Amino acid sequence: MQLISVWREIRLRWRRHFTAILGLSIGLCLLLLLNALSNAYKEATKIPLQDVGADISIQRNGDVPEELNGVVFSCSAVTIQHHEIEAIRNMAGVRSVAQAVLLWVFQDDQFAMVLGIEPESTLGPGRLKNYMVEGRYLTNGKEALLDESFAREQGLTVGDSVAVAGQSFSVVGLVAASQAPKMVVAHIYIPLDEAQAMATVSEGVQKVSPFSSQDANVLFLTADQEAIPALSASLSEVMGKDTAISTPDTFLRKLGTMFALSDRFSAAVGLIILVVTFLLVFKTVAGGIHERAREIAVFKCIGWTNGNIRKQIVSETLAQCLLAAAIGTALAVIASWLLSLHTLDIMIPWEMAPTPHFLPGGGEPVFRTVHLPVQLSLPLIGIAFALSLGLGAIISLFCTNRISKIKPSEVLRHE
Amino acid sequence: MNNPILVAANLQKSFADLAVVKNVSLSLDEGEFVSLVGKSGSGKTTLLSLLSSLELPTSGTVSLCGKDIIKASESELALFRRANIGFIFQSFHLIPTLTAWENVAAPLFPEPMEQRIRRERAVKLLEEMQLGHRLEHLPSALSGGEKQRVAIARALINNPRIIFADEPTGNLDSQTGQSIMETLHKVNKEQKLTILMVTHDNELAGNADRTLTMQDGVIQ
Repeated sequence: MQLISVWREIRLRWRRHFTAILGLSIGLCLLLLLNALSNAYKEATKIPLQDVGADISIQRNGDVPEELNGVVFSCSAVTIQHHEIEAIRNMAGVRSVAQAVLLWVFQDDQFAMVLGIEPESTLGPGRLKNYMVEGRYLTNGKEALLDESFAREQGLTVGDSVAVAGQSFSVVGLVAASQAPKMVVAHIYIPLDEAQAMATVSEGVQKVSPFSSQDANVLFLTADQEAIPALSASLSEVMGKDTAISTPDTFLRKLGTMFALSDRFSAAVGLIILVVTFLLVFKTVAGGIHERAREIAVFKCIGWTNGNIRKQIVSETLAQCLLAAAIGTALAVIASWLLSLHTLDIMIPWEMAPTPHFLPGGGEPVFRTVHLPVQLSLPLIGIAFALSLGLGAIISLFCTNRISKIKPSEVLRHE
Repeated sequence: MNNPILVAANLQKSFADLAVVKNVSLSLDEGEFVSLVGKSGSGKTTLLSLLSSLELPTSGTVSLCGKDIIKASESELALFRRANIGFIFQSFHLIPTLTAWENVAAPLFPEPMEQRIRRERAVKLLEEMQLGHRLEHLPSALSGGEKQRVAIARALINNPRIIFADEPTGNLDSQTGQSIMETLHKVNKEQKLTILMVTHDNELAGNADRTLTMQDGVIQ
């Protein structure tokens, strides 16, 4: 049909079409934004775990140490046995598993959080490689990395030795642990097997939670994204009730109202928006046909068939809907950019960053502040365009049924 | 020459109990300029719409360009009008969102042809109507006389065999009306076009080849 006349109809009779285009644009913008916002919250909640390259973290809760003396476990991270680790490694959907041993070490009136890590792993504490400030990363043996603040307090530097539970470790590097993910913050990092050996011989550990040399007390997993919910349930079965299995959903539940509003009501709000925009476009198209009855009669007089006229009106409506979809998408892009400037504080459960209460800030909640990753995906934009055009097609095809009732002699009656 | 292009027999049209056209029979020859006069409410516009296939009669027959238009479907009639008939209205009835040349080319829009050809044909007609300088103007920017000349060009774009004109000068001043009448007479003579013109102006009707007078739904 005549695209130029379609465009001119919208341009010259913009008052008639303005409300429908604006309403549809806003409706589509809201639909896109609600969906993008809901996805953004879900993506944001992956960030704390993504910081450590993991999809799931596992810790088991246990008893409080009887005495804060020597080497003990935090009550939030007690033994995960080797056979359990192997069972987890073999679960469907699990891609890789990194182990760690978190120790609280009390010695000579001093306290240190010591994390035993796998030097060759890039997962979990392996991300510390990105926060090195001096020296080199850990290898196996009697080596240690120190948090730079802790090293400064202790007057230690690279090349010095640090004593942990009576054993001497050579300081090979310093890391900015304060900038590292909260879940792997410690004062001293040593190889995993050294930490395992330390826990095995510790009375304080064994009294509360028997530990053997191949056990761990913190696990980081990477897994197939679609398998995470099912995996979480299977892990609970294998590990028992007292296990903290952290997935993006764990953080999602802590977000509260904003997410609940955008997620739970997005379908309902979307439906309302759809109905309102449907009525708006319907009113405009039906009203347009009524107002243009004489014009339609003229077209019939000069030889246009009902089909020709219908095609023209459907084209006009589709052009409106296309325009509305483009404006709505543009508005949504702007709004999502503005929303992405908004920051979100995601609370890290104490269990996942267990700083003892007697240390400064130990009792305070720990947050990971992230920018909301609000993004409009191309498929989503495609759906918005398809929805808009589908709406326009249905309405215009329905409304143009009336065209056959307009007689060409109508034009003479208006003389 | 006696080559009828339009033959109507025993035409009747009633709206509810009111008979507007009563048993009208008439015939128009090819190339004839016929005026239909009558007082307001005499039924002449209704008769025009019956003869031009815009409305179906209550009874009677109409044969236009050899086609029995009573039996044709709505869609067939639209295509038939596009191929054979031109209309000129008192109120011009130009499409306000289309430019002058687009209004002229509007009957061609449903035809599968290049836009360039549509435009060329419309421009040629508008130039013949002394409107070559008004091609891109919207109807709102045209005077009454210019609008009617655009409407005449639109009626001619499909090379019709017959033109139905309903009070074509009714909304124009006498000088402009005279100019429009000269244009109609010119196309009638030069293109051998049949014209049936409804008017209430006896002076204008007098310039036609033949005048039919209608009163109370009956041709006198």
